[in-house]
Amino acid sequence: MKKFVNDPKNFVPEMLKGIALANPKTLKYIPEYNLIMRADIPISNKVSIMQGSGSGHEPAHVMAVGRGMLDAACPGNVFAAPPADFVYQTTKLVASPKGVLHLLNNYTGDTMSFNMGREMAEAEGIEVRTVTINDDVAVKDSTWTIGRRGVAGNFFVMKATGAAAERGASLEELEALGNRVVAVTRTMGMALTGCTPPAKGTPIFTLAEDEMEMGIGIHGEPGRKRVKMAPANEIVDELLEAVASDIPYKAGDEVALMINGMGGTPISELYLLYGYAHEQVEKRGMKIKRNYIGEYCTSLEMAGFSLTLVKLDPELEDLLAAPAEIAIRVF
Amino acid sequence: MSKDVEYVVRLIANTVFENEQYFSELDGVVGDGDFGYSIARGFEKVINEWDTIDHSLPGNTLKGVSMKIVGAVGGVSGTVWGTAFLRAGITLGTKTEITQQDVIAMFRSAIEGIKKRGNTDLGDKTLLDALVPAVDQLEKSFNDGKDASTALDEAAVVCRQAAEATRPMLAKRGRAAYTGERSIGTLDAGAVAMAVLFEAVSKAWKE
Repeated sequence: MKKFVNDPKNFVPEMLKGIALANPKTLKYIPEYNLIMRADIPISNKVSIMQGSGSGHEPAHVMAVGRGMLDAACPGNVFAAPPADFVYQTTKLVASPKGVLHLLNNYTGDTMSFNMGREMAEAEGIEVRTVTINDDVAVKDSTWTIGRRGVAGNFFVMKATGAAAERGASLEELEALGNRVVAVTRTMGMALTGCTPPAKGTPIFTLAEDEMEMGIGIHGEPGRKRVKMAPANEIVDELLEAVASDIPYKAGDEVALMINGMGGTPISELYLLYGYAHEQVEKRGMKIKRNYIGEYCTSLEMAGFSLTLVKLDPELEDLLAAPAEIAIRVF
Repeated sequence: MSKDVEYVVRLIANTVFENEQYFSELDGVVGDGDFGYSIARGFEKVINEWDTIDHSLPGNTLKGVSMKIVGAVGGVSGTVWGTAFLRAGITLGTKTEITQQDVIAMFRSAIEGIKKRGNTDLGDKTLLDALVPAVDQLEKSFNDGKDASTALDEAAVVCRQAAEATRPMLAKRGRAAYTGERSIGTLDAGAVAMAVLFEAVSKAWKE
């Protein structure tokens, strides 16, 4: 393992300390619960929005905390859901009279931690609603599995609900909005390499020089198949077909297109992928109204990318375009 | 009676510490390989902060153990083990003596809690597939008038067989579920942990 690490056990706290020191006016860091929260919340006439998942997906979600997006994030260790107690304590600290919205990616661990944390908070009279994000088309959805995973599409849910919360939306309205965004967002990802969680010290999987894994989740867990490497355009074709065929699009639909890097793919390659993806999306008769190219939800240093399409309507487009200010960038 | 609860909790903790690497390796075949590490950190907090737990009643001790685990361990392991200890503690309530019936009732309540928390049941390739048959056997052995040592022995044997029987199953919960068919042919880490723990308790009881 060749990484910038002191003691692997302190990997997450040391990262969080960096975020806090870089944003002293806007963010507050509470080490006990791995908690990064806006310094100015709770705000009495605004619903508070929080998400927590494993670490290792940065900027999701600790660097997505700020005005117009999340109010708080309480990550667990690398690739491990936060303890239920973190969820409970965070919910209490951010609770406003208008309630708390939990956003969570549909993984078993996150779901169980958030459900338990929510029950503990509700027992104290805090009103909580949950939006479960499951934009990944690589996993078959059925009643006997845990269903589709939440991956890079979570960005659009954070952004839209964050903007609506700033405008005074109620908890019920935000829950409905979040579910509406999930319903129009589809993603599929792929990996060229594995990645190494610091505490593990070895890669979670290895791919031969001529292999790639199609349909990965955000921890590199498998989805569809391991196949031989192919030219970039063919990979885009496969991901786009999987994503676009999942929602019945019609010519004239307006969309947002995201090419999300998994952490180890240079921005040059992401733009190379975007260029072809853009052409192909327009070839299908869709109109690209907003685009997102860069790192939004990563798997440590994994090389690879995911492609996300969001079907827009004027209200959603407006929410996505609304101002937001987070640790990594100002929109 | 609180001493007995303390003894069993410390025995579980030590067994988890001894098997940390083994449990993680089992989990690493199709899961994410952190089961041993996660649960060991939970029991580390339990043991390190033992004196901060309210030990006025056995039930309180168990509830306190639960809170330490859900304060330290994320996701499936933390909520499943935390829920189990919490349910066991609630079931004991204010009792100061623990009968054989109480032991079975604690296990049954813990099992129901895990099913509800994980939206899961027998056959999903989880720890329940080893725990439930073991508790069934324990209850049967108690009802047959066996002494505690023999009953635990018999339950441990059944638990191990049931854990082995998870090998051909298809994982339907947790991150192993994404591997689909690839999960067939591997042991469920949680089920094996149940067998290891039952064997440890059974062995210790004899001594």
